[in-house]
Amino acid sequence: MNIWENMKMALSSILANKLRSLLTMIGIIIGICAVITITTLGTTLRSTITTTLNSLGSNLIGAYVTTRTTSYYDSVNVEYTPDDFITYSTVERLIEKYPELRIAEENTVGSGNTKNSLGKQVNVTLVGGYNGTLDQNGSRIVSGRMLTMDDVSMKKYTCVVTNIFVRQYFKNNEEPVGQVIKLNSENGIAYEFTIVGVCTYNSLINGAFGGNEEDMATPVYIPDSIARQIQGSYGEEYMQGWVFSYDPKTDGKTAKQHLKSFFEEEYAANKNFTVEIISNQDTMMIIDIIINVITIFVAVIASISLIVGGVGVMNIMLVSVTERTREIGIRKALGAKKSTIKLQFVTEAIIMCLIGGLIGVLIGLFNGFIAGVIANLIIGSIPAAKQVLGTIVMTPSPLAIIISIIFSMITGVFFGYYPASKAAKMNPIDALRYD
Amino acid sequence: MAKKLIMMRNIIKRYYIGQPNELQILNGIDLDIHEGEFVAIVGASGSGKSTLMNMIGALDKPTEGTYFLNDTDVSRLNDKQLSAIRNKEIGFVFQTFNLIPRANALKNVELPMLYAGVKKKERQERAMELLKLVEMQDRYTHKPNELSGGQKQRVAIARAMANDPSIILADEPTGALDSKTGHMVMDIFHKLHKEEGKTVVLITHSPELAAETERIITISDGSIISDTLKKEKISGANDFVEESKEHDLKDAFLQAETEVDAE
Repeated sequence: MNIWENMKMALSSILANKLRSLLTMIGIIIGICAVITITTLGTTLRSTITTTLNSLGSNLIGAYVTTRTTSYYDSVNVEYTPDDFITYSTVERLIEKYPELRIAEENTVGSGNTKNSLGKQVNVTLVGGYNGTLDQNGSRIVSGRMLTMDDVSMKKYTCVVTNIFVRQYFKNNEEPVGQVIKLNSENGIAYEFTIVGVCTYNSLINGAFGGNEEDMATPVYIPDSIARQIQGSYGEEYMQGWVFSYDPKTDGKTAKQHLKSFFEEEYAANKNFTVEIISNQDTMMIIDIIINVITIFVAVIASISLIVGGVGVMNIMLVSVTERTREIGIRKALGAKKSTIKLQFVTEAIIMCLIGGLIGVLIGLFNGFIAGVIANLIIGSIPAAKQVLGTIVMTPSPLAIIISIIFSMITGVFFGYYPASKAAKMNPIDALRYD
Repeated sequence: MAKKLIMMRNIIKRYYIGQPNELQILNGIDLDIHEGEFVAIVGASGSGKSTLMNMIGALDKPTEGTYFLNDTDVSRLNDKQLSAIRNKEIGFVFQTFNLIPRANALKNVELPMLYAGVKKKERQERAMELLKLVEMQDRYTHKPNELSGGQKQRVAIARAMANDPSIILADEPTGALDSKTGHMVMDIFHKLHKEEGKTVVLITHSPELAAETERIITISDGSIISDTLKKEKISGANDFVEESKEHDLKDAFLQAETEVDAE
């Protein structure tokens, strides 16, 4: 007797008692539904956090000078000399060697302003930057280009402005790239910069939610070498730490490895200090793990209800076996082996749990969908949240669905086995005589 | 002489073995049934005929003795092998029909073939053929509760024939039917016996039904007390030869012993 015939037979006896079967399934349905709902919320939470964090610069890697010793008492006794710091020229060599790396440092000079052709004053913030500064705050270039290492090294008077600045300054849809603007700094000196690119403005990082766009002071990115001149700090920049980013088209692990090997070589001769490399991906991974652990933990708690559901299935299977004693006797008289009878009842339990599991998955997915709609309604009513989070897309976990279905079938096997063996062990003579 | 289909030697069946209420139901049955015979086993309630039927039908194993069915020693088989014997060699017909209530007539007839692993198409064709044989082909989609007693029994007979068994074993097949439908059912058994050459073993307490058969075996208190052969000539002539086997001293002795035990 093949498995297909067995399944058809099982299905027909489940359908013979529709209401009873449905009531029996409810435990399984609730258990699986809870697991699917929770895992859907978990994966959605994770993907939302990941996207939000990514928009804030997930491809950042920090390089910091630290003492070689791990002992606190030793470390406070070690004194820094200028040679221990990371200079701009060292970093310049690094970027030359590994062009996928960018410098993501940002150096706020102070406020400044400029007047357009109509004589209207537009306030800005002067920010010294490098080729990777935009990676730091989740902005991106929309036209033209970002500052280059060349701009910084050669101290070119170039700048990148925000699209908000473009709307404030240029009233006639002029092409901003290539235009020269005259910026007044806090020290009273005016500098002329050529706009080389326009970038987006990330209000989450730079603050100033809402408000009147006309009055906003958005950053103007100028080469950091010039920014330091304006600030009055000449010469090479000695820094304890630098923040880098990398071309998103390349692999973060390789970038991190490159940084590590470069600085290991640089500091090989330094007895007291070394450079520690920490990437944002590491932090993301920790968040990822935490959310995963919470999701799995809650899902496991929810799956305990599956045991309750399984006991329900077992109970009804035992009733069913007793009710069908005579049928079992007939089947045995007609040549059904013990194993055939056992398989028939186990199949019945599995199919019952499987149907319950599938219904549970569907309801769980529906719950996730509803939760998504509600979350988007709430987020939609808060403009700031809307700007940061965008529209939440519910992402059910396919793995959770597969595991749930397999788990519901295992429940069927586990709780169907005892009643099925009871049926298989029946003596055909007694079973035939049973009323 | 036709082939010996059933050969029982000194079959003993005891219940509650080793307990104070140990009970011996069959006291050493010797029985031979040949291929193509139509046999009636008669006996009063409690005579042991049901136990004997269970034994013949491979539903139960004897405590002592040997039972060869179609050259297979049934008393030595395990559950799996007994199931195969019941499936292929025996066709059961019960007093209470014992059809599967959820399945229609066709599915009921198919069931033994399903357990024998017959392919679906072949199974359905054979089941329809058998339903035609018992004139139930028009009601193959009916479920048992939509059929009358006689109709149910006809479906049950078709089911018994499914795997072309060596023996049709009918336990009071007309017991739950009125006399008219009872006769119709008996006619089917005669038809199977005469036209299909089936070996039919009929268990009954009714002497009238038994009289319709060729051979009457009477059981009382767990022993065969008479075995009467009614030899019908193939030519169809009127003269019958009656042969009666006196039940031997040993049986009488055993019976007396059981009676003493019962007291």
